[in-house]
Amino acid sequence: MEGHQRNLYLYDRFNARVAGVSRDDVPTLRHWSEEMGLTFPLLANTTGYLGIAFGAQHLGMPIFARRTVVIDMWGKIRYIRDGSPDYREILLLLRGLHEEEGRR
Amino acid sequence: MMRSITVVIALALLAACTVAAPPADPWAGMRTEAGTVVWQDEYEFVPPPAPWKLMSLNEDDYSIAFFRGCGDEPPGNFPCESTFAYAEEPFGYSRELKERQREFFRLRRFLWASRVDFDPPSSKKISALGGEALLAETVGHERVLKHKVLAQVVFARRGERVVAFYFTQWRPDDGTFDRSHLEDFRRFVETFRFRKPSFYERLLGYR
Repeated sequence: MEGHQRNLYLYDRFNARVAGVSRDDVPTLRHWSEEMGLTFPLLANTTGYLGIAFGAQHLGMPIFARRTVVIDMWGKIRYIRDGSPDYREILLLLRGLHEEEGRR
Repeated sequence: MMRSITVVIALALLAACTVAAPPADPWAGMRTEAGTVVWQDEYEFVPPPAPWKLMSLNEDDYSIAFFRGCGDEPPGNFPCESTFAYAEEPFGYSRELKERQREFFRLRRFLWASRVDFDPPSSKKISALGGEALLAETVGHERVLKHKVLAQVVFARRGERVVAFYFTQWRPDDGTFDRSHLEDFRRFVETFRFRKPSFYERLLGYR
């Protein structure tokens, strides 16, 4: 999350937005967000349906697995990666998508 | 059985030869004519003299780091480690130096595993990496083990982003810091240069 917060100005330049999704509730996420100084939205998805939709909810687990998903401006999933985010890979992808937007 | 014993003896003799040999230059092949060292074709700097050693790192928090341990200090002076490092992605987010310093200490990520409470840092403007920089200094206290740590952090810029140099030195609560180690840190910071534009500069097409 720190990497995303550090790169927000670059996401902005590439016409991208980031949101975090967690099974924690709103008060927990609000406290964590304030403590970490995060300014992008964190979504409380306590029922877990977003994690199921994106394949990040493993059977029997109370939390989501770490997964990064990039959706382009036309609603198409363009990138999925498990584990810790590769911020540089994400930035290169977003730059490419932004150039693609300009061509369409 | 005899063969096993022979092998062990041979290894012991080889080990003795290794100890007796003069220490190899850890920077061999990386030195320039100017006396600097080129690191991963990315950074150039004057490395600290022995007994500083290059640290092997398996994390992204630091880009390069050095330390000197208790073996390099008078006996009975524990803890006694000094370390310094260059970090490409220092804790915090802001691209403004003063705000980044505030975030750096407020987020409690720096030395987080050591459960350290930092005194409010003092700071002053300096020059580093060819531009304006900020030098912050504070002492952290580990109240359970009764240890303290001197921390000096230089916040500087690489392109649009803030990078940092960290120095830490651990001592017992009633011990005295050896500020002479800061001289090696200062020299490292002063001689540190970038060999090429950063990933972020290249990303945005800067030259």
